[in-house]
Amino acid sequence: MKIALCSSFVPFLYGGARNIVEWLQTMLEKEGHQVERIYLPEIDGPDLLFQQMAAFRWIDLSAADRVICFRPQSHLIRHPHKILWFIHHVRVFYDLWDSPYRGFEDDVRHRGLRDALHQADTVALREARHIFTNSQVVSDRLQQFNGIGSEVLYPPVFDAERFHSRGLSDEIVYVCRLEHHKRQHLLVEAMAHTRTPVRLRLCGSSSGAGYPDELSQQITRLGLQDRVILENRWITEEEKVAYLADCLAAAYLPLDEDSYGYPSVEASHARKALLTTSDSGGVLELVRDGDNGFVAEPTPVALAQAMDKLYADRGRTAAMGERALARLDELNISWSHVLKRLLA
Amino acid sequence: MKVLIVNNMAPFVWGGAEELAVHLQKNVIAAGHEAEVLRIPFQWEPASRIPSQMLMVRAFELWNVDHVIALKFPAYLIRHPKKTLWLLHQYRQAYDLFDVGQTNLPAGPAGEELRTLIRNADNESFAESRRIFTNSEVTRQRLQRYNGFDAEVLLPPINDAELFGGGPVGDYIFAGGRINDMKRQYLLLDALSLAPPHVKLLIAGPPDSPADGERLRAAVERLGLSDRVRLDTRFLPRATYAEYLNGAAAVAYLPFDEDSLGYVTMEAALAGKALITTTDSGGILSLVKHGETGWVAAPDAEALAPVLAEACSNAQRAASRGAAARALWLSLNIDWPHTVEKLLR
Amino acid sequence: MKVVMFTPGLRASAIGRMTTLVVHALRAAGNEVTVVRSEQEALMAQVAHDFGGELLSWADQARVGAAIAGADSVVYQVGDNYEFHIGCLEWLERAPGIVCLHDFFLGHLFWAWAHRHPGRADAVLKAWYGDTVAASYFRHPDSASFIAATATEAPMTEWIGAMASGVITHSNWGAKRLCRACPGPVHVVPLPYNAPAGAMEPPNGDQRSFRVLTIGHVNPNKRVSSVIRAIGNSPELRDHTVYRLVGHVQTDTVVSLSGLARNYQVNLVISDELDNAALVNAIDQADVVTCLRWPSLEAASASAIEAMLYGKPVIVTDVHFYSELPDDCVLKIDPEDEIVSLQRALEQLYHSPELRRTLGARAREWAEATFRADHYADCLVNMAVDVSRARPALAAIDHLSRILSRWGASTDLLSASHTAEPLRLFTAEDDSSP
Repeated sequence: MKIALCSSFVPFLYGGARNIVEWLQTMLEKEGHQVERIYLPEIDGPDLLFQQMAAFRWIDLSAADRVICFRPQSHLIRHPHKILWFIHHVRVFYDLWDSPYRGFEDDVRHRGLRDALHQADTVALREARHIFTNSQVVSDRLQQFNGIGSEVLYPPVFDAERFHSRGLSDEIVYVCRLEHHKRQHLLVEAMAHTRTPVRLRLCGSSSGAGYPDELSQQITRLGLQDRVILENRWITEEEKVAYLADCLAAAYLPLDEDSYGYPSVEASHARKALLTTSDSGGVLELVRDGDNGFVAEPTPVALAQAMDKLYADRGRTAAMGERALARLDELNISWSHVLKRLLA
Repeated sequence: MKVLIVNNMAPFVWGGAEELAVHLQKNVIAAGHEAEVLRIPFQWEPASRIPSQMLMVRAFELWNVDHVIALKFPAYLIRHPKKTLWLLHQYRQAYDLFDVGQTNLPAGPAGEELRTLIRNADNESFAESRRIFTNSEVTRQRLQRYNGFDAEVLLPPINDAELFGGGPVGDYIFAGGRINDMKRQYLLLDALSLAPPHVKLLIAGPPDSPADGERLRAAVERLGLSDRVRLDTRFLPRATYAEYLNGAAAVAYLPFDEDSLGYVTMEAALAGKALITTTDSGGILSLVKHGETGWVAAPDAEALAPVLAEACSNAQRAASRGAAARALWLSLNIDWPHTVEKLLR
Repeated sequence: MKVVMFTPGLRASAIGRMTTLVVHALRAAGNEVTVVRSEQEALMAQVAHDFGGELLSWADQARVGAAIAGADSVVYQVGDNYEFHIGCLEWLERAPGIVCLHDFFLGHLFWAWAHRHPGRADAVLKAWYGDTVAASYFRHPDSASFIAATATEAPMTEWIGAMASGVITHSNWGAKRLCRACPGPVHVVPLPYNAPAGAMEPPNGDQRSFRVLTIGHVNPNKRVSSVIRAIGNSPELRDHTVYRLVGHVQTDTVVSLSGLARNYQVNLVISDELDNAALVNAIDQADVVTCLRWPSLEAASASAIEAMLYGKPVIVTDVHFYSELPDDCVLKIDPEDEIVSLQRALEQLYHSPELRRTLGARAREWAEATFRADHYADCLVNMAVDVSRARPALAAIDHLSRILSRWGASTDLLSASHTAEPLRLFTAEDDSSP
């Protein structure tokens, strides 16, 4: 089949939104399909939205048998067989309207723009033969704002066979960008309350020096230099596999993220238990407290208790790690399932 | 610097321009910048679609880009304060191809309106570009003639120059490039049949159609040249192609009136191989100087036969002309570092 | 919502009076309104209606510009009078807004504007009505023939409609042209008006005279001569009727009407313009008010509404706005058989005080429920919201149109099917609201 994968992008910004497209491309090509990847530029500025939407409407992909669209406003592309793997809306016009992220006035003009966008989005969404999302959170939003049902199709990680377990060390690992909303600082604070010798490794790059510096100072202030390792740098794929292979458990506790995050799936493939918090968002679709990990209240004390439990009862921790792998099957987090659903 | 290379896309079609964009990206990165390629789907059939496609490109908003290099219509309509054009194609069906009736633009007022639209949009983009380069002299002339803009010719360099290290003078003439009537491989076969038996020929390249390949095979049979001609018409891996070229006595390329220098010619010159062509091959003649960098013969078998013979018999001459070809080529500075530097100036 | 309201301010303008009601209603509903006088500068010296606040002049570029920049909605009260509405025209093009359209026939407004913008006027005429109409438009010898020739063929409704982001008008009869021309919503909302003196009792006392009243600028389309003839044709009407005209009237018209009345032995009283109190008194004293129009050019008749609000029996021509009034509120006469029909209606009313009473009471009841400023203000606010929803797509299309224009497109390439079809989603109805 000739399949076009379409998404919006910002040049030179990489990350999750591109991974889902590019990994899918590789998997489709492995199955023998011809894949064309279309990335088109898009900016969320209120006064630029509709002219860009018109541009997307004029894209002609009739040469493709099927079109799969990801980030907005790619869902506006027209095609008789349009499938959406809907990652998120232009959120400042939806669920983040009443938030500091909005960046413009809540006045008649902008409310009108918002309503017009909802209307246009809904019409475009309805054109799709089938709509998939990457999490229940996003599906709920589609229902709430656009009155449209969708099927959750969890994004798998690429080349999951790399991940494995070599046993459980003393170290809980958090392999993820060092950003405030990922809340590495909460774990550091929690370490100060732990009673076992459990250790913590925070590793990943950052968009600026501010947050990593804060973490560093926090570690020093709490006298945790010998128990917390902070690596502010790009972690290679090989290093990540190794860290996950050896760790006691893997942490992933962002503040209210839509999707479960690749780190939690990678850790599950490595058969490690997960540590997250009750306000982390989509990751709670993956982690069940006491089953494949712990879901703690987002306080240092509660997190410390969970970390201690992971250290103290290794048997249980190992069992939860095995459950983590099984949970991936329960949620159909696999490329074979993805391809089956997208190509149905 | 963050450099965005902007090109058209015909979905599921991959050709020379796509290759060029990828190599440009690779070399911009090699020069120490970040580079990405933006490929914009372009549908020009039917012609009534063209205005929407032009508006589409014009309506895109770019952020986080320091410099744009755009290659074709309508991709170069994209807006950016630092935009350099490396013009591979205008929409020729509105210009020179329109003049000879080879166009999808309708006759009458509708077609005139489209031509006006395209010309004005083109001129606007040309005027707002920092610099305009073209990939050939012909493109430069067309731009001057139809739009009144000056441009500098910037020939696309060889993509994988490191493969063409050359080698000792071999015992066969190598004829590379696509196989079709315009490339005139059949002329080489006719010439070979008039040349002495030690002269050998290796023709390698993809035929444009199975019929083209068949015709060539049949000619070899008919002329009884099977023991002197080797035909390799599969899709050639680059390394194999380079191997063939590097081991030749000389390289023959004699298309009819080609626009550009010809990749085969460029690669052969870089490898220090003497060049063989005809008087009517067009742009090729910029590299092939008779008696200096190779041989230029009249486009018939009688004139070509002695040239092929000489190239295969006189190794010293083949070597010295090959060296001269290489020197001429290098003096043109057609390499990626120079190209990237010019594009980003 | 912050609203900038363009309107004639001077007291002579009935539109201005209507706008005071709307402005007060908007404010009562919690909106902020800045009022901008739209009449010619020379007229600004005249006393204005009470809009309840400071008034800006349309010519004050800086302050009006600032008000518009900070506003959620701009509203233009437009009628067929250039001197009263020049400010609207000057701002409408650069500050798109909602037009409250009082007249479907805008020939006089257009004429005056056209003389200052001949090239553009010609283009407008050709675009909407074709070359033939454009060629003859300015060649009519007098006002009557101008109106006769253009009222149905080239009323210029589209000219204003196309410039508006939305239109509110006051009856249905001319709305189709607006729907065709206006890129935004078009709604019909009853014209708000008031009866400042409050409820009036039907006049008692001297029943020897039957008082018929016509108010307003006396021009031929008010059918005064027809009323005179109808009265004159009926002996009893002739003997008992006093027909009073209150409103500006030209000298030659006084002469001709007086002559006509004499011929028909009709007791005609011409009062010219009266001050407010006197006018109210005249209405109070009247048994019947006639609001006849032929041809009918306006969207709604403020004077008919006023008479109804005062509980007066009103005789109207059965056409356009008046046809849309309920049959039990007014008496409608057939314009094709005008005089006979008028005579019958007047006789009916003359003979039956009971009919006059019930008609008047029903008219007031219905008018009070219908011609409400609070409802109009609500509709304006709702339309502003609708417009705000339509605006982003329209602005994008406008932007793209300009690009095509700059590239030398000679036709409207944006409406060509390959280009327009994909954009339909911007105007598609969404019936799925959660």
